[in-house]
Amino acid sequence: MAHMTNPLATPEQLYQRRSYGSLPTELQDVILFATQCLTQAAGILLQLPQSTTAQANVILARYWLVEPFMSHEFSDVSAAAIYLIAKVGPSPRSPRDVSNVFAYLMSRSSSFFRSPSSPPPVNDPSSYYLSDAAYQAIHERVLATEARILYALSFNTHVSLPHPLAITYLQAMDFLGVRKETISRRVVEYLNTALLSPQMLYLTSQPNALAVAAIYNAAKDLGTKMPECEWWEVFDVDREELGFLVVGMRSVEGWVKKMREDVPRMKEGMITRNDIENELRRRGLSVWNGYGNAMMDMEAEVARRMDERVSEA
Amino acid sequence: MAGKGKSRWADDEDDLAAEAQRKREKEEKKRLKAEKARKQEEENAAREAGPSSAPREGPARDDEYEDRPPAKRRRLSPERTAPEVSSNPNASSKLLRFEGGTFGRSRSVENYNKLNDIEEGAYGWVARAQDRDTGKIVALKRLKIDPKDRSGLPVTGLREIQILKDCDHKNVVKLREVVVGDDTTTIENIFLVLEFVEHDLKSILEDMPEPFLASEIKTLLLQLASGVAYLHDNWILHRDLKTSNLLLNNRGQLKIADFGMARYVGDPPPPKLTQLVVTLWYRAPELLLGATRYGRAIDMWSVGCIFGELLTREPLLQGKNEVDELTRIFELCGLPTDETWPSFRRLPNARALRLPPKQPGHVAGSSIRARFPLLTSAGVSLLNSLLALDPDRRPSAREMLEHEYFRQDPKPKQEAMFPTFPSKAGQERRRRKQTPLAPVRGQQAAELGSVDFSGLFSGREREERGGGFSLRMV
Repeated sequence: MAHMTNPLATPEQLYQRRSYGSLPTELQDVILFATQCLTQAAGILLQLPQSTTAQANVILARYWLVEPFMSHEFSDVSAAAIYLIAKVGPSPRSPRDVSNVFAYLMSRSSSFFRSPSSPPPVNDPSSYYLSDAAYQAIHERVLATEARILYALSFNTHVSLPHPLAITYLQAMDFLGVRKETISRRVVEYLNTALLSPQMLYLTSQPNALAVAAIYNAAKDLGTKMPECEWWEVFDVDREELGFLVVGMRSVEGWVKKMREDVPRMKEGMITRNDIENELRRRGLSVWNGYGNAMMDMEAEVARRMDERVSEA
Repeated sequence: MAGKGKSRWADDEDDLAAEAQRKREKEEKKRLKAEKARKQEEENAAREAGPSSAPREGPARDDEYEDRPPAKRRRLSPERTAPEVSSNPNASSKLLRFEGGTFGRSRSVENYNKLNDIEEGAYGWVARAQDRDTGKIVALKRLKIDPKDRSGLPVTGLREIQILKDCDHKNVVKLREVVVGDDTTTIENIFLVLEFVEHDLKSILEDMPEPFLASEIKTLLLQLASGVAYLHDNWILHRDLKTSNLLLNNRGQLKIADFGMARYVGDPPPPKLTQLVVTLWYRAPELLLGATRYGRAIDMWSVGCIFGELLTREPLLQGKNEVDELTRIFELCGLPTDETWPSFRRLPNARALRLPPKQPGHVAGSSIRARFPLLTSAGVSLLNSLLALDPDRRPSAREMLEHEYFRQDPKPKQEAMFPTFPSKAGQERRRRKQTPLAPVRGQQAAELGSVDFSGLFSGREREERGGGFSLRMV
């Protein structure tokens, strides 16, 4: 059964994340969404199968329910998650490849997280060239973050994806009037979009529920007739959970559109820890709070501030 | 009891009275049991008739469900108090609930008291320890980390953890959790908390004065086969089965351990698997000949080697290196021919293989029968099939469980009736084992080079035939 189930977030974990005296919720959501997108982009450039990248997305979301957002650079967490999942899976990627890809995505030459209307950025290879020293530094951080992710998740890297289940369910159903390719493509699109959802749908529902919700949404979109009975119960999903997921999956698009308008920073490349710190300062919120309550981090932050003051003087 | 102290055959009134008493007690018990069952049934019926009656589901699933508390919907915020689902009259159908557990940080190794070292070998450090909260005895196995390795935590260790976490079978060692050292700023000390098992089969075999009885061997093999069948059913190849990786507890239960080489495979198996797997003495011929596309049959070969070792208390094929190992295999199982192993010529290292020319009149076939004169013919046929040179001819673990050998007398001994052995788990330092170590990842795969096997059987013509002490050519 392990192949069909995932460990899920506990109510305490979800609650704590929202009520932590740390980051405002919308900033958390933006960080999570941006980093999930970055992971997907890196997966494409690393030519990883989507099954691997999607697992890295899920691991990443789990990790941030256990550890505070601000304890590592977001792109490092993304790189570590993708490196780790590729390593234990069937298609490992070398640390050098991973570092190069992330250096490119974070540089001003990449079009990642740029407004689609603005002209594509000029390709300047020097902006993403990794010197040996820079590579060593990234590599070091990725390995440290990898160990941190494993520790935070008790070394459980198991992720079951809903995609294969959805295909099996589709085969069990018969959607008249729609080509199989069309509906399965739409289903997979919903499942992949749900990976980016700030609601962390993959951490609150089992794969069978995600698969059924994606099928429901796809069938609605394509206007095909669904069985009259409560067919989702055949796949062990109850109406309430289905309803929640259907809305959750559909809301991602609108949420992203609104965020792009509200947070102009989302059109200027990947968001970094520095951006969040600046935003917190602008709002007059204390920065180090965002690091969680680890003493170490607070001390480091105080030391850093004192350094800043020294250099200002 | 009245009859105590007297002859068992004495037949007097005391005996009769005792007999009657026993009978009464038995009947009383029976009656109580029947009543209990009736009550249970009534209760079940009442529950069935209640709000939940699902005609959709089969009886098997229903039964399974009766034992569990009613499934509650997961609450997503801890603030709300009343679980509002139970009062819902519409919840009429029973849905299967998938439990995947939760996730969270590793605990600290300080939750365990170290008792004594069990082993310090090439594959790490193992100690016996006690859970501070529950008092349970466990084995702590430290994950070996090479600080010079620039690829981070070793993939073999991570795979072992993942596979053991997914496994739940009585013949596979259980992983309770993974704990880390107290200093969590850098994660360097990682320990697997495994169920503690008293012995490993290797040291039992080394120390026992008499070999296992036939019935005991059958029990051990059945358990091994059922563990391997479970792994193979779940798409796991162990890739390092050997007696030192088989543990035995004091209740006669065998557990497969050490999944450092194991991995998940699909069907068809992925191409380009590493051939650097399985300790040399247990390594299948197709691996020695450089196959990179292999499957469950390599584990079955190792099972065959273990079978032989259980019979003689000596590893079956103790090659000094790859070439020597292959020589010994051919000596025992016969030379590969186009009939016994049609595809072997296509393996990378087979091209360089020079085999003695076929001699008309006698076939250099298997000498297993001769090597195990005391084994029953069913036993020989099982061993012969497990040690078939052609991987496609080896039985699967499931097929092995059905083999006639296990149905013949002597029947497999009950686990509980197994002899016990003095537990050595670390109380005294173990003898160093002479078994070669499992291959290391990233090593260069040994090239067989152009090996000349033509001399392998050349001495045979000159052997005395009949009588004496010569090798039998059966």
